[in-house]
Amino acid sequence: MSELAHTPAFPLRAESAADLAAAAPSHPELMRELGVRPRPGWTANLPAGLASFLTNGKGMAGVIILLVLVVMSAAAPLLSDYNPNRRAGKPHVMPSYEHVLGTTRLGKDVFTQLVYGGRVSLSVGIGAGAFAALIGLALGISAGYFGGRTDEIISFFVNVVLVLPGLPLIIVIATMVEAASPMVIGLVLALTGWGWAARTIRTQTLSLRTREFVLSAELLGEKKWRIILIEIFPNMLSFFMGGLVLGTIAAILAEAALEFIGLGDPNAVTWGTMLFWAQNNLALQSGAWWEIWPPCIAIMLTGAALVLVNFAVDEITNPQLKASRKIGRIKRFLTRRGRGADVF
Amino acid sequence: MIFLARRIAFYFAAFFLAITFNFLIPRLMPGSPSDRIIASFQGRLNESQIAAIRKAYGFEGNLWEQYVTYVQSVFRLDFGISTVQFPEPTASLLFYGAQWTLVIVGLAIFFAFFIGSFMGIHAAWNRGGFFDSFFTPINVMMNAFTPAIVALVLFYAFSLQLKWFPLGRAHDPNLMPNWFDLKFVGSVLYHATLPVLSIFLVSFGGWHLGMRNVMINLLNEDFVVMARAKGLSENRIKYRYVARNAILPQITALALSIGFALGGALVTEQVFNYPGLGKFTFTAIGARDYSFIQGQLLLLTCSVLVANLLSDIANVILDPRLRGR
Repeated sequence: MSELAHTPAFPLRAESAADLAAAAPSHPELMRELGVRPRPGWTANLPAGLASFLTNGKGMAGVIILLVLVVMSAAAPLLSDYNPNRRAGKPHVMPSYEHVLGTTRLGKDVFTQLVYGGRVSLSVGIGAGAFAALIGLALGISAGYFGGRTDEIISFFVNVVLVLPGLPLIIVIATMVEAASPMVIGLVLALTGWGWAARTIRTQTLSLRTREFVLSAELLGEKKWRIILIEIFPNMLSFFMGGLVLGTIAAILAEAALEFIGLGDPNAVTWGTMLFWAQNNLALQSGAWWEIWPPCIAIMLTGAALVLVNFAVDEITNPQLKASRKIGRIKRFLTRRGRGADVF
Repeated sequence: MIFLARRIAFYFAAFFLAITFNFLIPRLMPGSPSDRIIASFQGRLNESQIAAIRKAYGFEGNLWEQYVTYVQSVFRLDFGISTVQFPEPTASLLFYGAQWTLVIVGLAIFFAFFIGSFMGIHAAWNRGGFFDSFFTPINVMMNAFTPAIVALVLFYAFSLQLKWFPLGRAHDPNLMPNWFDLKFVGSVLYHATLPVLSIFLVSFGGWHLGMRNVMINLLNEDFVVMARAKGLSENRIKYRYVARNAILPQITALALSIGFALGGALVTEQVFNYPGLGKFTFTAIGARDYSFIQGQLLLLTCSVLVANLLSDIANVILDPRLRGR
């Protein structure tokens, strides 16, 4: 960094070299101006990907919101003494000390339903997202690595799954199962939601399979499954994570939508069925805003938190996107020093 | 041409897969629709009545015969008879609902695509600037707000509280449907505003991010440096060079997004009491009207496939590299 202080970045005017050295900002000042923060020391021993995730502000904000939601759902029996399925008070009571978020038209406690519903909604969403990402991973790697016939057949099905409209298809399956339980909905979502993950992972595998380390493993006579698991899979982790996060967003939103339009089991307590009952009982029209907004906010918070995590994953897998975020600072830095900001 | 022929062959195969899927689901699940109707009579039916019900629902003969009958009926646009609005054929209900869904989905996709893409171009061109670092994350975050919730918020704020927009219907019931009457078109647009807005709000961020990321990757390409070296104006490079290349993957994504927007419309129409496919589907789900639910899947699949074909054609027109193939 010392050469920055000594080589002037702009044409020399009348000043002497000594004046310049005095006027030039020190290393820490430059770092501050460019917005470069040194990595905290405790991340030094962690793998690079994990370290850059843990130091990513957006990603950690998302993780913290998710953790709060998960902990609140897990601790549901501690947070509320009511039974989410039973009447807990008079219908449509305003939020008060006894009922933190009021009661529904059937007199059930909204806060209790919210935390118990989170258990089902979050686990179904994350479970379906993980299952879909796993299917996508398996099919994507097989198509990309084996190539030929296998690739053609798998790619055909990937394209079909991508092209068929998701929600209408799920509606058909879910109607055939009487009052689909959250488990069934999650399973259907996983089985229809693996298209994007499979496509990205296939493309990545295609570019990896001709790399030297894969070729050398092949020449050494390694077994195919071993090459896939040990050579290729670790390089797919970030794409798998991306698929997992996007799949979970899609699954949580789709589950809520399906239950909202009445395809779910109306007796299950989830965020989606809470919305369904609120809409069915005309909560908005009768002024019971506390019945409808809590599940809405919970779903939106979960979605927003996952998007934040996805931002972080994206920036780690595609450094160009991250670099471009810093370009504004570099441009301003150069402009302040009288250099044209017309750099790419 | 070979490119287009291959795509058409693929869409046909996908369509047949959808038909087959539609055919198999009720037959693989325990309790077919006709069995349920028969069961609902609790044994008060005689043999010939049971046979008639099975025939009406296409459950007569072995699986292959049923399949042939089913495929034939699909190509005759015969989706059976609605049980909700009994003597009405499902097909006419489907097409009545589809025209209103087309209005809101069409407008929403149109605005989302153009506004989102323009924002993406702007963000990529001034990347790292205020617009990019502020609006890109926010717009993408809006993508995770499901249409159901956005629709509820808009309905609550603008229809119930402020009463600026109607509580339901696709047009003023006192006007005769006539697409050449400006007053009627105005009323349709007025009723469609909030449903369109709720689909728009959850989808334009995707176009913004897609356009931005493709543009950023293109900005380092040699042809951009070349265009700069030639001294072309900023706007010319931005729109005629970079954006024109970045729009190609967006057009492919546009066709795929129609499926997503249709799914959003299903929920939105329910909130706004809008008489499109979604509203009918909702009623059909409540009444377990299987012929309608299956019909909506076929109709929507068909429209998505046609949209994909159109986007392929648009890609061939816009991308000279595809023409020779």
